[in-house]
Amino acid sequence: MTVAIRATDLVKSFAPGQRALDGVSLEVSTGEVLVVMGPSGSGKSTLIRTFNGLESLNAGELDVLGIPLDASYDPRQVRAIRRRVGMVFQQFNLFPHLSVVENITLAPVKVQQRSLLEAEERAIELLDQMGIRDQARKFPSQLSGGQQQRVAIARALALDPEVMLFDEPTSALDPERVKEVLDAMRQLARGGMTMVVVTHELGFAREVADRVMFMDQGRVVEMSDPETFFSNAREERSRRFLSQMSH
Amino acid sequence: MNRWLDRLISAVVLALVGWAGASLLHWLVSGAAWSVVSSNLPLYAVGSYPEDERWRPLLWMLLLLLLTLGTLLGPRSGWLRRALPALWMAMVPLGVVLLAGGLGLLPVPSRDWGGLSLTLLLTVGSAVLALPLGVMLAIGRQSSLPVLRYASAVYIEAMRAVPLIAVLFFGQLLIPLFLPVGVELNRVLRAVIAFAVFAAAYIAEDVRGGLQAIPPTQIEAAAVLGLSPRQSMQLVVLPQALRIALPALTNQAVGLLQNTSLLAILGLVELLGISRSLLANPAFIGRYLEVYVWLAGVYWLVCTAMALLARHLEIQLDPVRSSR
Repeated sequence: MTVAIRATDLVKSFAPGQRALDGVSLEVSTGEVLVVMGPSGSGKSTLIRTFNGLESLNAGELDVLGIPLDASYDPRQVRAIRRRVGMVFQQFNLFPHLSVVENITLAPVKVQQRSLLEAEERAIELLDQMGIRDQARKFPSQLSGGQQQRVAIARALALDPEVMLFDEPTSALDPERVKEVLDAMRQLARGGMTMVVVTHELGFAREVADRVMFMDQGRVVEMSDPETFFSNAREERSRRFLSQMSH
Repeated sequence: MNRWLDRLISAVVLALVGWAGASLLHWLVSGAAWSVVSSNLPLYAVGSYPEDERWRPLLWMLLLLLLTLGTLLGPRSGWLRRALPALWMAMVPLGVVLLAGGLGLLPVPSRDWGGLSLTLLLTVGSAVLALPLGVMLAIGRQSSLPVLRYASAVYIEAMRAVPLIAVLFFGQLLIPLFLPVGVELNRVLRAVIAFAVFAAAYIAEDVRGGLQAIPPTQIEAAAVLGLSPRQSMQLVVLPQALRIALPALTNQAVGLLQNTSLLAILGLVELLGISRSLLANPAFIGRYLEVYVWLAGVYWLVCTAMALLARHLEIQLDPVRSSR
């Protein structure tokens, strides 16, 4: 199995004396679904934001799909990584002035120089997969949160990424809307996509994750398969977190 | 007690308004001598433009009016709607060609341009120049390059610290000094440049307000999709920022129209200038009230048209409202 992402001793600090990432190392294999859990402020969002250069590193080394990235932050390498890695945000971040289809076709047309016709066909196909084909001509503000997030997933997929990063994709959603987004992600995982998912959805992690990583205070506390993590976590800190989550 | 006071105040106010309205109406109908307006309509419209060529500025204003009506009342979709932006853009070069001549038309020097046609040309000409300049300044002010950032900031602050009339004087007197001998920029063009560099500073601040209203997460979303910083600005940030800035930009446009009247002081015979020269005519001596009431009406009409157009544009740019 080839390695999609290799992180070695990542350090990120936003303020002197505080470390959002404090020596994080991990490997994500191609086709693997890694779920990252942890209390807020544990550094899990910061971690996946370093994977596509949204956060620069203070120290450590990254290798994403064979492209190296370190504290020197070479913009060309960041761009090369972004071309092959998709991302979905907590707040969807759709472009409000563009229709659903335009949101999805913008990057394929402007970045990958595909024809508009081809890009639109692909967009409709992706919307169909997401179960929101009938929303194609609407604007983001006319959709529910769950629909917006599925558009955001389609927008990322339109660039045919090899890795997908999810930064708390269901945290801003109404509880009834969570399932439709998780279903879409489940489907993606079944298709063999390499995914790193920051989430608090225990059910999703248990069912879909190949491995679960638990972080606290910028460090990796535990890396286990979901079975072990949820029924018999090795670390006391993980067990405490899980017992709080299930209340 | 209070109720009676309210009634009393209402009655007094009503009486005052009624009295003022009645005397205004009386003056408008029988007191005023409107010949100063009615016998000089062509002058108000086109100034001292050669009589045989008057159709040119008149045609341009007619086209402006038609385009305005077409925009406001025309079809909501179809090729005509899609052609509108291009048609509006074409109005400035068309106006310059029609007024200045050339391309087979008899050349008319800019000192003969005047009246409402000159006012309108000054307004749209400087607005069209000032908008891109202002947008560039706003983006420059947010640039990560210190040189660009400080240069933009200094320019904006300096322009805002100088009164418009001073900039206009500089434009009329200084620009010729900077040009090589033999090259002459006409007075109207100098005025347009002066207006544009002045208005650009204010427009830049309005646009900056719009830029700052766009959440950084939008820029992040554009970046992870692989858009370059330039594409992100052009396709994601600016369209949203300009829509937010639109009401303030409308204000600038209306202000620009009103400010063209300052050029009367500098000897350009735009709407106010032509009125002043009419008042100097012995036949119409002392007819200030009529002339200025008439002028107020004309300015009001043009401003209203601009306000309606801006409102229309706002609705057009609102994706949700225009898609319904």
